[in-house]
Amino acid sequence: MSRAPLLALLAALAAGAAPQSFPTAPESASAVDRLAKSLAESVRALPAEAPVALHVSGGSAELRRAVGTVLAARLAAAGLAPVVVDAPTAEAAEGAARAQGARTLVRLTVDVEGGELRARGDALGTWVNFWSGRTATRPPKPAGTLAGAVEADAAVLALASAGAPSGPATNGSAPRGVRLLGAVLARLEHPLAALATGDLDGDGRDEVAALTERDVSVFAADGRLLARRELDMLPFASATTREPFGALAVLPGPPRLAAWSTRHAHGEVLALEAARATLRPLGPLDAAPLGAAERGAFVPGQTAFAPEVRMADGRAMTVPAPFTTASLIPPRLLFVHPDGSASLYPRAGAAPTRLHGLGAGSALGDVDGDGTPELLTTSPQLQPSPDVLRVYAATGDEPTAHEPLWQGALPAGRALYVVTADLDGDKRREVVVGLTKPDGTGELFLLRHGAP
Amino acid sequence: MTLRSALTCLVLLASASALAAGRPRYGGELRVAHDGPPEVAEPALADTPLEATLLGLLSRPVCRITTDGAVHPSLARELSRPTPQSVRLTLPNAAAAGALARAWMRLASTEGASPYRALLYPVRGEGRQVSANGPLLELSLSFPWPDLERALCHPALAAPVASGPLGPFSAAGRGALEARLAWPQGRPYLDRLLLTGTDERGLSRLWSARQVQLVLGVSSETDTTAGAPFYATYLAFSPRRLPSDFRQAVESAIDREDLTRLFVHAPALPMPHLLPPMLMQQGPRPRPAPPATGPARKVTLLYDSSVEDQRAVAERIQVKLHERGYTVALEPLPRAALRARWAKGDFELMLHALLLPPVPGPALAVVLDAGGRRDLLGVELPAIGALADAAARDTRARERALALAPSVPLVPLYAQGLGLRVAPEAGGLRFDAQGLPMLDGLHLVPQEATATGGRP
Repeated sequence: MSRAPLLALLAALAAGAAPQSFPTAPESASAVDRLAKSLAESVRALPAEAPVALHVSGGSAELRRAVGTVLAARLAAAGLAPVVVDAPTAEAAEGAARAQGARTLVRLTVDVEGGELRARGDALGTWVNFWSGRTATRPPKPAGTLAGAVEADAAVLALASAGAPSGPATNGSAPRGVRLLGAVLARLEHPLAALATGDLDGDGRDEVAALTERDVSVFAADGRLLARRELDMLPFASATTREPFGALAVLPGPPRLAAWSTRHAHGEVLALEAARATLRPLGPLDAAPLGAAERGAFVPGQTAFAPEVRMADGRAMTVPAPFTTASLIPPRLLFVHPDGSASLYPRAGAAPTRLHGLGAGSALGDVDGDGTPELLTTSPQLQPSPDVLRVYAATGDEPTAHEPLWQGALPAGRALYVVTADLDGDKRREVVVGLTKPDGTGELFLLRHGAP
Repeated sequence: MTLRSALTCLVLLASASALAAGRPRYGGELRVAHDGPPEVAEPALADTPLEATLLGLLSRPVCRITTDGAVHPSLARELSRPTPQSVRLTLPNAAAAGALARAWMRLASTEGASPYRALLYPVRGEGRQVSANGPLLELSLSFPWPDLERALCHPALAAPVASGPLGPFSAAGRGALEARLAWPQGRPYLDRLLLTGTDERGLSRLWSARQVQLVLGVSSETDTTAGAPFYATYLAFSPRRLPSDFRQAVESAIDREDLTRLFVHAPALPMPHLLPPMLMQQGPRPRPAPPATGPARKVTLLYDSSVEDQRAVAERIQVKLHERGYTVALEPLPRAALRARWAKGDFELMLHALLLPPVPGPALAVVLDAGGRRDLLGVELPAIGALADAAARDTRARERALALAPSVPLVPLYAQGLGLRVAPEAGGLRFDAQGLPMLDGLHLVPQEATATGGRP
């Protein structure tokens, strides 16, 4: 990850912690803010005696520092005179706290797990009774356990991934381990119909575009809504689908977004005007955008595309069966069929490898930065509980026959869309999963590399 | 097992680990057996849960209500409120809009009079003058009535089947229904439904022999699932032709628990109040003492000859009222004739069954109209509609139902739902808030996921 955005993010987090009063964390506050508020209240309730030493371990160094900084600010606002101590272990922190004259030590381990930012630890008194001599006895109070968890956000993921190595693989061939941490990127009022990523504003980093049957939205890497366009003015399709379905792609040249929901008779080509927070229509779209330059057609009334695909070079290609998902990372092409099988082409025109057990949420993307795209796929079940994202090395004849490089549970909902994106300008692509939630809303779930 | 838990279990079972890339698969056909009539045509008369389900395959109302209370377009592409006092419906085409307008006007007319006309009462002119503008229907309200959209989702407000293709399926002859590609909410997953009409024994036989995958109209308490019971049966009486203590005589003689346990098909619940238990969860009222014995009277009880339960209940009422000094003659009538007698007020006693909307306000409107108290609609509905909050409106409607019960010549008896059995290879079964199964959402589950459960 490039350092500039991270520094800006940390500065923003630190600035958020500046107020002298004990501010409440609004619902829109960052995950670090919300966790710090919860922990500060727990420390205050012990009650802790000032000065309070703070030792944070776990996660990436940036995440530890961010949590330490914001928590210290909240403790300071509560009059607990915090001091952040640096020690190699939680045990060593006790001596360091005493050395700095603290009367209370708060020891926390922070981590991102299951889409949550979690902190666990304890608080103890560091005052030593004069009569104990050289033995560092502990006072009876304060003493207590501390635990808190809040839903993670994109900023937390950025912090958690800051310590992950970003250079190329040491020998250039062996895939590195993949460890993904997830957090909610954005929520949608309606379930998703399609998902795409690409650099729409020319800043060198991708944005995330989400299509529902009613609108198309573009989100920044931190989950901010950059623009949204209602599609209600488009004419209704004569044969729509029962479930939201469509095609969405970022087109090259001047960056544009091609969006078509099966609810409507045709799609639209749109340009992002970030300064005005709008998606400006450029014209109609009469072919389903499967990729930057690849086009297809919907099977009328079904959540599938017809097998005939027009490739970027204008050639026609016919895949073995209608498909519900296409991920085209030339020369590799992946088509997932409605029965959970898939056709993986090493290049257009070559014989496909037939795969089995793939979910509609499947994509090719280089998530480990080794220059070769991996195969990502969700569960093929109709109602998995929970849905699971698996990452396979896409080399060899049958990628899914081997152990996945990584797999992890996703939040509740049906994960029907998976795309990869370069949200931070490094070589490894982040993963965005589009979920249809049980309550009929949509959710974008972001997975980034975590610190090892 | 409660109805709700049965439904939940079924949905979970039906959706168990099917390999299908995460999406329901299209195609295939499903064999369905039912014990309903071979044809349903007139929505206002096809109001048993089974008939409404069969009708809904070919003709749907403009919207549907999901179990969470949300209104979703069905036949209409969109429902909107350009102003608080008007509702705009965007239909797929002008023909559909025209068919609906005609159906609604007929509902309110003298020859087609139906208690379901009360659903349109808040519309200016009480729904007697509805005109389509191309594919648009604009309904202006006489008074604030935020529940109009929820009322319009009632199956009786669908257009007659003969009006054209207005449902998710179209008839393909010999009991076959084909999926309609042009259905505004997306074609059904299945290509085809194959319907077989039979009797109760036939249903058991076909199910046991695995000749059908879905059976509609099952009354067994086990191995079935059921929709919410909104099919409410009342004993309507004419206050002009019967003594003033008639209600007391009936209430003291009839045991609703007995009726639902012994005389009508499950799933059924005793209904002690004007609104069904799903809308009004209040305990049973104490049975009054019998009135003082008066002179013997002869009365005639009309009932629906096409509903087997009504015959059994009518006979039970005949016996019980005999103990109160009434000699009851039974007169079965076809439903259309029964409704005509109701519209003319030409009856002494009548078993009157209604598929009530799953919303207290509109349900109360239908019940009042069915009870011959249409005069109350102009008083009660504006007061309910004036409340902006939906929960407050529902509460108000329940309160008014309790308060008005003694003045409405209806004795509530029981409420029923639709019981059904579905094979594990059919997935995606859900009920709407009306308690009707949404068969257009069914799909075939791949074989590897159907190894367990549900079949004899």
